[in-house]
Amino acid sequence: MKIILVDDEKKFINMLAKRLSLRGLNADVAYSGEEAVEKAAQTPYDLAVLDLKMPGISGFALKRKLLEMHPKIKLIFVTGHGAIENNGNHDHSDDIFLAKPLNIDTLIETIHQTIHPDKQ
Amino acid sequence: MIRTPQMLQKQEWLAFLFHRHNAHLASFHTFSNYCRIWIISIVILAVTSLSPLVMATFINQRLIQQAVDSELILQTERVTSNAKRSMRFFLEERLNALRFIVNELPYYSLIDNVHLAEILSNLKLGFGGFTDLSIIDADGSQVAYAGPFNLEGKNYKTQPWFTKSIESDNFISEVFTGYRDVPHIIIAVRSINALGRLFILRATLDTQRLMDTLLSYKTNVHTDIFLMNDTGVLQTPSSTYGKIFTPTRLDIPKFSTTTNVILPENENEYTFITGYSYIITEAVTTPFILLVNKEKSVVMGTWLNLGRTFNWIISISCLVMMIIITLVSTFMVNKLYLADKTKAETMMKMEQSQQLACIGQLSAGIAHEINNPLALINETAGYLKDLYHFTDEQQNDEEVMENLDAILEAVSRCGTITSQLLGFVRQFDVQISNVDVEKLITGILRFHKKETEYKGIHVTTDIAPDIPAIETDRGKLQQILLNLINNAFQAIEANGCLDITVSHHPPGQITMEIKDTGCGIPEENLKRIHEPFFSTKKEKMGTGLGLSITYGLVKKLQGNIRVESSEGVGTIFTVTLPVKMKKEDKV
Repeated sequence: MKIILVDDEKKFINMLAKRLSLRGLNADVAYSGEEAVEKAAQTPYDLAVLDLKMPGISGFALKRKLLEMHPKIKLIFVTGHGAIENNGNHDHSDDIFLAKPLNIDTLIETIHQTIHPDKQ
Repeated sequence: MIRTPQMLQKQEWLAFLFHRHNAHLASFHTFSNYCRIWIISIVILAVTSLSPLVMATFINQRLIQQAVDSELILQTERVTSNAKRSMRFFLEERLNALRFIVNELPYYSLIDNVHLAEILSNLKLGFGGFTDLSIIDADGSQVAYAGPFNLEGKNYKTQPWFTKSIESDNFISEVFTGYRDVPHIIIAVRSINALGRLFILRATLDTQRLMDTLLSYKTNVHTDIFLMNDTGVLQTPSSTYGKIFTPTRLDIPKFSTTTNVILPENENEYTFITGYSYIITEAVTTPFILLVNKEKSVVMGTWLNLGRTFNWIISISCLVMMIIITLVSTFMVNKLYLADKTKAETMMKMEQSQQLACIGQLSAGIAHEINNPLALINETAGYLKDLYHFTDEQQNDEEVMENLDAILEAVSRCGTITSQLLGFVRQFDVQISNVDVEKLITGILRFHKKETEYKGIHVTTDIAPDIPAIETDRGKLQQILLNLINNAFQAIEANGCLDITVSHHPPGQITMEIKDTGCGIPEENLKRIHEPFFSTKKEKMGTGLGLSITYGLVKKLQGNIRVESSEGVGTIFTVTLPVKMKKEDKV
């Protein structure tokens, strides 16, 4: 299972990657949308954890680009903007949103649920 | 943002009279003193509408007054003139008869008493009013006499009438009693006998005949007709001044050959009007002045009645108009007041909500900025904990673990607060889209799955199959349900139940019930749960904003929220929302 974490908060995303790896989930890290697109071009990721607000390519724009490259990719949005975000212009009813600060256990559970929804 | 049903205006009658000064509202009111506006409007309306009426009444009164006056003058003039003419005729006729006698008959036949008596009886037959006849020579001795009194041989030389009558051809005396002690008038003609000596034919007229003639012009008791002499002594009885010979003390009217009317000085307060005329025959000026007093009240009678009726009508219509004016003014001012009050309240609410929106924006900004460092603290602390946990080093150092847990706990609390603050700002604009309620609820419950399992909470959802996709704001509805479900979870102890029911009633609305078997809410707190910053969970992680925000959000979505609770048994929150939200004007 290949996972990529995208956030412009470098320390935050590094720390998150380390904690996930301690729990057996190895994740790549990208500090911007552009970097994420570059990495996705080389690696077919199964899951992307995206920050909604980033300089350059935003979370939603990145979602579209990643879906173009890997139509089966699953997405989890992380946002500092409250619990659940819906900015109205898009239909994101199927997307999963998590609020910052994250609970690592919730994140891991969500990741498992997203990748293996049939196991529920 | 507390909105209560009491804000619906009570359309009280006279509400403005009981207006209480409210310092917060006062600055939004257009007018401050409604009682004054009320009084001014009544006064202006009354003055503009009643003054023409009052003026018309006044003019009418004046016209009536003038009509009465001219009518009275005319009547008095007519009566005076007629009476004067007949007086003149009465005296002239008798004077001419005497003239005829002295011219026609020789002196010797006149001084024959028998013949004189014959003439007297003929005069009585022909004219009437004669009492006696006598011939008096130039010395004043009565030469012949015919009549009822025994006056033969009397000498009149000293009598004033004799001196006057010997000096002129014709003479008419005023009324006097003389030797006979009966009021009478003397008329006399002077002539010359065959010897060239002057003599006088004198006749006495009884005053009764004169008075009868005069009284025939007295048409009613309110008219007084009488004669007086040029010194103001009554010559006939008067109903105003008394018996004959009573001095009237009247001002002697100015001499005039025509009929005149004396107008009273004070036009409004006189009781009668006087017409007068000097009685002048062709041959001689008599000492008589004819006076006619006519009382005003008689003529006024009909006019006064008319005026009184008119005044009644005017007064009643004034009263009716005043009542109508008062009612209309009261109604209008009250409407004005209520409209102004509503406006002021709306403006105040707007200002409040704008202030709240500002606070919300500010809090959201801060919350958002804080969330990133908070996330970093969270991950760093978590990583430290992980290091201890996964590398086995110092794993038994409980103090370190406790402190790390304390940091993580604090971060989690901060996270709740920032997320609620962010939710707080989100109630200010509405974006409508189609929302599948079932999917939404399932999604929210997924977040709580772990807690459900951990606490052993039994969750049931009963969503009616006919629930349509509702047109509403997804984010807000999500927030509402999330808040209510979070609340329920916090209330439920281990092995509790959470029931979520969604039904499609009443028509055009859906009803969502979130029922928990938690600790319940004490009755005294039930009223306050929607107040911002009211919390019973201060020591845990409550900001006191959750239900307040929920309440505001439900209202924003044009819905209603109701809560029933009994302590120790559980709580039911019931939210009703319209299936189709009306487009609302943005605040």
